[in-house]
Amino acid sequence: MSWQRQILRVNLTDSTIRAEPLNMQWASDYIGERGLGTKYLWENMDPEAEPMGPDNVLIFATGPLTGTSASTSGRYAVLTKSPLTGAIACSNSGGKFGAELKYAGYDLLLVEGRAEEPVYLRIEDGDVSLHPAKKIWGKTVWETEEWIRQEHNNPMLKVATIGIAGERGVRYAAVVNDLHRAAGRSGVGAVMGSKNLKAVAARGTCGVSVDDPKRFMEVTSRMKDMLAGDRGTRGLTKYGTNAMMDTMQEFGGLPTRNFKEVQFEGYDKVDARAMLAIGADGHRNLVTNTACFGCTIACGRISHIHKDHFTIVNRKEYWHASGGLEYETAYAFGPVVGIDDIDACTFAGYLMNEHGIDPISFGVTLAAAMELFEMGVISTEETDGIELKFGNAQALTVMAEKTGKQEGFGEVLGLGSRRMCEKYGYPELSMTVKGQEFAGYDSRALQGMGLGYATGNRGACHLKHDTFEVDMEDQTGSGKAEPCKASQDWQAVVDSSGLCMFTMGAWGPEEFAEQLDADSEGDWTVDRMTESGERIWNLERMFNMAAGLTSADDTLPQRLLKDPAPSGTAKGRVNELDLMLPEYYRLRGWTDDGQPTTETLKRLGLG
Amino acid sequence: MRLQVKVTGHLVDYFADSETLLPDGATVEEALSGLGIPTDQVGLVSVNGVAVNKSVRGSRLLSDGDSLMVMAPLTGG
Repeated sequence: MSWQRQILRVNLTDSTIRAEPLNMQWASDYIGERGLGTKYLWENMDPEAEPMGPDNVLIFATGPLTGTSASTSGRYAVLTKSPLTGAIACSNSGGKFGAELKYAGYDLLLVEGRAEEPVYLRIEDGDVSLHPAKKIWGKTVWETEEWIRQEHNNPMLKVATIGIAGERGVRYAAVVNDLHRAAGRSGVGAVMGSKNLKAVAARGTCGVSVDDPKRFMEVTSRMKDMLAGDRGTRGLTKYGTNAMMDTMQEFGGLPTRNFKEVQFEGYDKVDARAMLAIGADGHRNLVTNTACFGCTIACGRISHIHKDHFTIVNRKEYWHASGGLEYETAYAFGPVVGIDDIDACTFAGYLMNEHGIDPISFGVTLAAAMELFEMGVISTEETDGIELKFGNAQALTVMAEKTGKQEGFGEVLGLGSRRMCEKYGYPELSMTVKGQEFAGYDSRALQGMGLGYATGNRGACHLKHDTFEVDMEDQTGSGKAEPCKASQDWQAVVDSSGLCMFTMGAWGPEEFAEQLDADSEGDWTVDRMTESGERIWNLERMFNMAAGLTSADDTLPQRLLKDPAPSGTAKGRVNELDLMLPEYYRLRGWTDDGQPTTETLKRLGLG
Repeated sequence: MRLQVKVTGHLVDYFADSETLLPDGATVEEALSGLGIPTDQVGLVSVNGVAVNKSVRGSRLLSDGDSLMVMAPLTGG
């Protein structure tokens, strides 16, 4: 068993710190990480609580495989009630922080209440303390990480922190760890800021033990060989996730200019090959690739910006290499805002990490603002003189910085797309589900993706289901409900394991089960894990229902339901949600209005 | 016959040119084989912008001048 069998409960209101036994029954029923965190959230807070109030709970949860020698075992999740959606938030991150938290002796950190003054939490091998954070309140993510290490004279501390965006309540503020890995989505950083918690720093030397060490070593070695031999996974190493950009372009599912179009003429200036291209002066955007804790894929990108580019001239602090573009950031700073300047996109990515912002939500919010600007609804008087037009690279980088620092029009952008579009009287221009902005896949071309977006428990999200294969094979809504439901359940398993979803090209359910079975007590089979995944999905749904969401929230913007795709392989199609959703509810064992039935809840041990 | 070819994603490691020559009457499946692209690495093929599903790759005939698009699978991320 690779559990430390211990969680840490920190109450910021009265500054109490308490270690508690891990509830092993919950670990058995909900696996870990996303599932276990959901159960702890459900049992420790009222879903109707104000997201940025003291009654919200913030959880950092590791999985059973986090910190083990399995490949990609650096994952952890941050769970809370989202200030962006009002629904459950579960944001997954890599880097090294998750493994370090477990090595420090804790499987899960539960934060409740609100500190009177800014604080940060230090956890070193069971020695836990809260410290004043006045000196770092207002500092960036990068400054904070460095400051905490120096303050404690410990370069081995791994830090998860917020930037100014989180402090100031940007609805999609992220928690960033290890400089450029992030629990990015749904505004978990804003909740951390609302609690006056600037950072969590962890260092541990406990290690972890597994249930069957000999078998575990044999199994995980074999799994690493599988990853190394898988051609698609090797593609991730070489090109990163941005290898998908040209596929989405040719497929016609690349959201462009706030989803008015589905193909972007400048895609090849911001895609993976553009990152690898060497310019006449020898400059190449991509410096190298990088890996999270224990990962043998190394899909992460490290890039640098051309020294003559307008974004960094006379700004020496950005002349170093840092986290580079992945598919979602390239989409969010490229096609969806109509920009083809790779250095500007890279710089915007730096700013997201530095200030702690979700790049997807920022880019899609900016896209809506650009559409409103071009319609004449927003003027330069509001945008601090910036021409907020599609394609304006300077507008992207200036607004990224203003949002990060919460200056000027950045305060409006910090509301997120839905609240901003409502403010200007055009809610239909918000490309969101449940208030969360879309990832880089247009659901007119990818029908199952649309169903996954609409039913996503944290709003629009591409990471909680996997219908890519069926979506590419058939561009109608027919037959999409079953793979959407099944993949949602299985993705909940992967997200609860402590391993990374990018292994899924090489590892099927049997490979995950084999590793978990060698790692943990008891018999872990695919059937048992799949049932756990379904249980997790339904508990998330129960949280959302209790928080006040209804089936009316399981929908897509009218643009995707009414305006046909203007080009691409799905030209002329709209998303067929009305066809897919009733079948999906039926397969889930839910009522016609999306409520889990008593029988379903009883079957899953939730009723 | 001469085909215009474009591949996406990591498939460029298998075929990086923009056109290829194939015997007349070749099918999409034969074209993929000729390009050296493993079929398990292919997400979708389109011919002249129209998707060709897996089930008909073996019977879909190509013509001189056709534009063949071979797309890598999508994986999220």
